[in-house]
Amino acid sequence: MKLRNIFFIALIAFITFILLIPTLLGSIGVIPPKDVRDIAKLYLYLTYNQYNRSLWAASPEAVTAIVWDYRGLDTLYETMVFYTAIIAALMLYSEILGYRDIVGGIGLSFIVKRGFSIVLLAIIAVGFSTILHGMLTPGGGFQGGAIVAVAPVIGIIVFSRRIFDYSKLSYKYLVALRSIALIGIVLTPLIPIIVTLGNAFIFQNQVKVLARFSYPSTIIDVPMGGSLTFLNTFEGIAVFTAFMLAFLILLYSEDLSKKPLEGEDIGY
Amino acid sequence: MDIRVIMFLTTITSLYLNIAISLYGVIAKPNLVKKFIALTIAQDSINVTAILMGYRIWREVILQPPVLLNWNPLPKDLQDFVNRAVDPLPQALVLTAIVIGLAVNVFLVGAILHLYRHFKTVDMDEISKLKRGVIVEETA
Repeated sequence: MKLRNIFFIALIAFITFILLIPTLLGSIGVIPPKDVRDIAKLYLYLTYNQYNRSLWAASPEAVTAIVWDYRGLDTLYETMVFYTAIIAALMLYSEILGYRDIVGGIGLSFIVKRGFSIVLLAIIAVGFSTILHGMLTPGGGFQGGAIVAVAPVIGIIVFSRRIFDYSKLSYKYLVALRSIALIGIVLTPLIPIIVTLGNAFIFQNQVKVLARFSYPSTIIDVPMGGSLTFLNTFEGIAVFTAFMLAFLILLYSEDLSKKPLEGEDIGY
Repeated sequence: MDIRVIMFLTTITSLYLNIAISLYGVIAKPNLVKKFIALTIAQDSINVTAILMGYRIWREVILQPPVLLNWNPLPKDLQDFVNRAVDPLPQALVLTAIVIGLAVNVFLVGAILHLYRHFKTVDMDEISKLKRGVIVEETA
């Protein structure tokens, strides 16, 4: 056995033990946990507590309540990290952004196209259902957006890029849609402050002790979660458009993809 | 020892081993695609570990996800929900981490594709050799 391999086996064992020893000594509490932590109990108790309306999030789903209400600012910054990564991916191909592909594809066979058309509807329905039921069932904007983003990836392969380049889902429309969604995400936490002329908190979902603003907590008799529905919807659209932009760029034909590399061999 | 404790410890150990092996893949493999696959395995293992931290062992009560099914809960129902639900915090963190991870992965795939188109290889050793050749040529 080579010395290199022995070194790496020792490294793997070392990393495992470094992680395992503190865990066994109780760094993450009793193993396995007998109870959830106090902060989790508080979130669980308050998320849909109609008897304490100054602290509730009006969402029976505790995860969504944490993501967009109790720890909403965290998620806002996570959205920024997400967009930085997507913009970095787009910048790699900055010279061909928005170009129509020079190779006109015809896609796969008729049977595949018709079959996918039926599946396409199901994918979009499941995705939007996940987005809109974010405050009732597990899921939400991030997950629903990622589900809907699967549709264009398969769509590009089945129908060819051409159909997207000449449709309303081309680069410039997607960028506009993404910007609208991002403006929506920024405005939803600010609306309480604008409407009450400063007498509300940022990310305020329901009425607080010092601020009398509230997004509606129900639609007819179904819990709506106030601002959570809007934030989930905008985030879903933003995630879908961002991923679609990234996949449209990645799936350019080889001829056009080489354009950003021109001149690199002689050093720009 | 309780069988559930043994199973929990085995799961934790295997996840840590998974993380260690994927770190080995990221460090030792010269192929960029293999590095990328190892990185995604590391991401997923860390996410599963985080979710597992929020788990609680069931003894008297049957556990449920942190979703309240009763839309007109009485105080007793709420207390029952708190006693039965698992920790929602790690789930909230992992929920966003997965999508951000996917965005970072898309960027990495773009970068690897770029490198492949430029150097006609995804082997890091080859790429550094080629770059060394270019630098030597330029300075000669």
